[in-house]
Parts: sequence; C-alpha cells; structure tokens
Amino acid sequence: MTATATPQRRAPRAAGAAFAAARRGWRTRHRTAGSVLDVVGFAIVGVVVLTALVGPLIAPDVYASHIQNARLAPSAAHLMGTDDQGRDVFWRIVVGSRTTLSAAVITVILYSVIGVLIATVAVLAPRWIGDMVMRVVDVMQAFPSLIFALLIAALMGPSLQSSIVALAATGWVVTARLLAGIMRETLTEPYVEAARTLGVSTWALLLRHVFPNALPTLWVKWAGDLGITILLIGSMSFIGAGAQPPSAEWGAMVIAAKGYVTSAWWGALFPGLAIACTSMGFALVGDAIHHRLSHRVKGH
Amino acid sequence: MNEEILRIDGLRLAARGPDGAIPLVHGVDLAVRRGERLALVGESGSGKSITARAVLRLDDDITASGSIRVGDTDVLTASERTMRSIRGRRVGMVFQDPLSALDPLVRIGGHIEPLFRARGMRPVVARSETAKLLHELGVPDASRRAVSFPHEFSGGMRQRVVIAMALAGDPDLVIADEPTTALDVRVQKQVLRVLAESTSRRGLAVLLITHDVGIVAGFADRVAVMYRGRIVESAPTSAFFSDARHPYSQGLLRAVPQLDRPGRLLPLDRASIPEPDDDNSVLVEVGQDHLVARSALAAAPMGAA
Repeated sequence: MTATATPQRRAPRAAGAAFAAARRGWRTRHRTAGSVLDVVGFAIVGVVVLTALVGPLIAPDVYASHIQNARLAPSAAHLMGTDDQGRDVFWRIVVGSRTTLSAAVITVILYSVIGVLIATVAVLAPRWIGDMVMRVVDVMQAFPSLIFALLIAALMGPSLQSSIVALAATGWVVTARLLAGIMRETLTEPYVEAARTLGVSTWALLLRHVFPNALPTLWVKWAGDLGITILLIGSMSFIGAGAQPPSAEWGAMVIAAKGYVTSAWWGALFPGLAIACTSMGFALVGDAIHHRLSHRVKGH
Repeated sequence: MNEEILRIDGLRLAARGPDGAIPLVHGVDLAVRRGERLALVGESGSGKSITARAVLRLDDDITASGSIRVGDTDVLTASERTMRSIRGRRVGMVFQDPLSALDPLVRIGGHIEPLFRARGMRPVVARSETAKLLHELGVPDASRRAVSFPHEFSGGMRQRVVIAMALAGDPDLVIADEPTTALDVRVQKQVLRVLAESTSRRGLAVLLITHDVGIVAGFADRVAVMYRGRIVESAPTSAFFSDARHPYSQGLLRAVPQLDRPGRLLPLDRASIPEPDDDNSVLVEVGQDHLVARSALAAAPMGAA
C-alpha cells in the first residue's frame, strides 16, 4: 500500500515544487499531530490497564479509615491527599481503576453481544420481523438511555452490578443499529454475492465476510464506548444508583467527597480527573484505530 | 457426450415493478451439453446476464416461469437447500469484476480453501489443493501467493483467482458472466485461454456471457445471440461467423474490426432489425444445429416452420 501511495504523493512535485512542498508540509504536520495524540491515547490506556492489573496487588489497604489523617492535603506521603476517612486518595484511585475499568469492559461486552444478536436478527429474519426489530430500536434510541438505566438500577437496588446491567440493557441500541446498517451494506457487496453463488452458507458468509467487514468500525466504537461507559458508570455512582461506599469506584469517590469539596477539593478532583483522562484516552485510541483502519481498507 | 448439463425451456423472467411486473426475458430456450462451450452474445439489457443468473436463482425479486433444469433438478421449483448444493458444486460462476468479487479483507487462499473444505477436505488438503489449482491457472509461486490479499494481485491474476473459485467446487458447468470486461485486451486473451484450458482439461461445459463478439470465435463451440429478451439465432461458431442469418447477428459481426475487411466497421442499423415478438421469434432450422428466428427469413413464407 505504501508502495502504491508513494508515487501519487510524489506526483505533484513535477507539477510545481512549491505546491508539492506545501502539500508535503501539510501532510507531515497533520500526521505528526495525529500521531502525537495517538501516542497520548495509547499511553493513557496503557497506564490505566496496567494499573488495573497490578495496582490492587501492590496497594496498601484502602478501605480502613484513619480518622486522625482525615482530609490531609496532597504531600509526599499522600500524593493526592486523603479523604474524610483518612484514606489515601491516590491508592484508592489505583485500586478503583480495576473496579471501574472491569465494570466498563463487562458492560460493553454485554451490550455488544446483545447488539450483534439483534442486528443479525434484524438483517437475516424475514423483512417484516427485521422492520419490527428496527422500529423497536428506533423507540429505544428516542428514549433517554441514562434515565432508563436509572430506572432499571433503582428497581434492582443501587449497586455496581445493577448499574452494569442497566447500562448494558440500554447501550446495545446504537451498536445494533450501526451493525445492522453495515451488515445490510456488506451483504450486497459483489464478493458476498460471489461467495453465495458458489454455495457458501449464510452463516459462513456472516462469519467470513460480513462480521470482519464490520470489525474496523466496531473497534473504533468499542474504544469510544469504553470511555463513555466509564463516564456513565461514574455518573451512575455519582447519582447514587451505582457503586456504594466504601467502594473505590471513581464515581463513588467523587460523590463521597462532594460534601467536603470546599475544604478538601482533592478528594473529588483526582478521581474526577481519572475518569476524564481515561475517557479521553479511550476516545483518542478510538480515533487512532479509525485513522489506521480506514486508511488500510481504503488502500485496497 | 450429448448429455445436457443445462436445459432452459420457455424461460420468461420479469422484474417486480411498482406498477406490476416488467417483462425482461420472453421465452428463452437454451441447452448446454457436457463439455460444450456456448457463448451467449447480446447487447446490454438484452437479458443474457439475468438469464444466466436465473440458472442459480440469484435474484430474489425476479419472477420466473418456464423451466430451467440443471442435470435433473428443476431450479425454479427447487428448495433453497437444493439450490445451495447446486451453487458452486454443480454450476460454478466467474464474475465480471475480479476486484469486487474478492473480499478485500480475506486472503486469496481464504477465498478458495473454504470451497474445497465444503467438499469434505481437511484443511491441509484444501490448502494444497488451492495452491495446486492456482498454479494450474498460472499464478506464479502459488502457495506463497495464497496468503496475499486481493489488492496485491493484478487484475488478470485476480480473475484467475475468481476462476479458481468457480472450479474449486468441481462443477459440471461454469457460467462466465463477462469475465474479461474489466480487463485490458492483452490480459483478456490470457484469462480466456486459462478459462478454456482449465475447463476443457476437466471436461466442463462453459456458458460464456459476453457482448464482445470478438472473443467468441476462439473460445466457443456454439453461439446464441440474444436480442430484446429473446434468442434470435443459435449456431455452431463457424456457421455463425460465416453464415449468420439474423439481421441483428449480421449487425454484430459487422461491428467487429476484422483484418480482411478494413474500414468496413458499421454501426448497428436498428431499423433493419425486425422487432422480435412471440410470433416471429419461433426458431427455424436453417442448417446443421443452426437455428434462426423466423423474422430473419423474410423471403420464407410465414408459417413455413
């Protein structure tokens, strides 16, 4: 691909050196800016994932309270200060990363599976069933999903588990719609028809041609979705429908520190920052994947 | 050798339109014998492609009447399961555009191996059969190239892959729908030769769909000319080129550049071609295996058939 792209990129040089130089300059700068952000995104996600994996193994006890140390400002001993129970905010964030991240991953996996199933039914079933499914999807999409999630979480009783179930029960809608669109489009591709013409079964068509073609889009969506889901899990905890104290889930930490934010801002700020950075990291990774994959696919 | 692999009788095809059915093919009779190479020639919109696609029942929104028999299976009434056993296994198909017929995300081998696997071969065997087949079709360094992606292949090489896909199911008949239209002229010739050699080695019948009379002469045993949804002439290739009877066939032949007739390229004169209808399209035998629509025999009294 590079080999074929290079001559095209060089071609304008013959047309006019200045133009070509400007063009090259723009491309270089553009690519640099993009790749710096890519690196930032991957670095954030890498750090968060690593923290979630090994952090809880090396952290001190983050649940026991040491009232005598309550609300200490950030210092060498407590990098991000302590909360109103005297617990180290930094280590709570480290331990909470596993809670928050795994909750987000489970949520996205759950609703992706639901989304894939719904989209497959919508595309393969007889037309009237498919249409009906898509109308249900429309209605679901018109409904504010966080409110729906709140309702489910309230019915199940507030906990991290119920916020996962609630977010999974509402999150599949966009995945299903997106995937159904891609699948419909891919099924009309000549190579899918060619495979069908040569006797390949519908399921084999889906597995070999249709899903792989949806993957580039799904990777981008999954990365972005992880970021959004981390935010939503934080939000669910923040409004009291999700993880409960003394959990070190990041959203739960923010709400717990809300009462004394005027006297000890660090208790709310650092977990909030952790949520924001991690979300952004996943979004950047999504962009990076998008650029690379769309480049690759278009290269054909 | 006279066993008919494919027999089409009185085939009528119509598309479902907003204001009722739109007739596209008005009663086509056609037979392909084992090992025979038949070229179905005609202009765009004459109904040749849709007739060929009907053999595999590829278009859901087309209504068909008449009969299409592949071996002893009636395609128009067969179950979807039966159709799947015919597609690829009894009738293979080579598509027009070799780039879009290959999935850009699937390796070359990945297009062919599953078709061998579907015949019950183990993965290792399927892989070596794939390499063998590609090698036979003139893909150099076949086993190594099987792991390449389609975009790494040239147009001619891609079309060989598409031919390999059609052959992998071990069919009795290969339908080649304008297999060379997307290729440049020099590559066209190579690909046609590969198609001819690989099919005659296996004793396969070929139904070649084309609008290019120029490629027919060296390839086909028999030519059928389609015009406005009807077959207007059917003849052995030599008889067709020396003694075409229908004005449309003659017009097609005049539109092909020929070395011994310099400067005699003529556009089709539509006015001289009788509009085919049910009555004047009855085929009359005018020579050995040479049939032509009654409308072409202006001198012959109507009803002579």
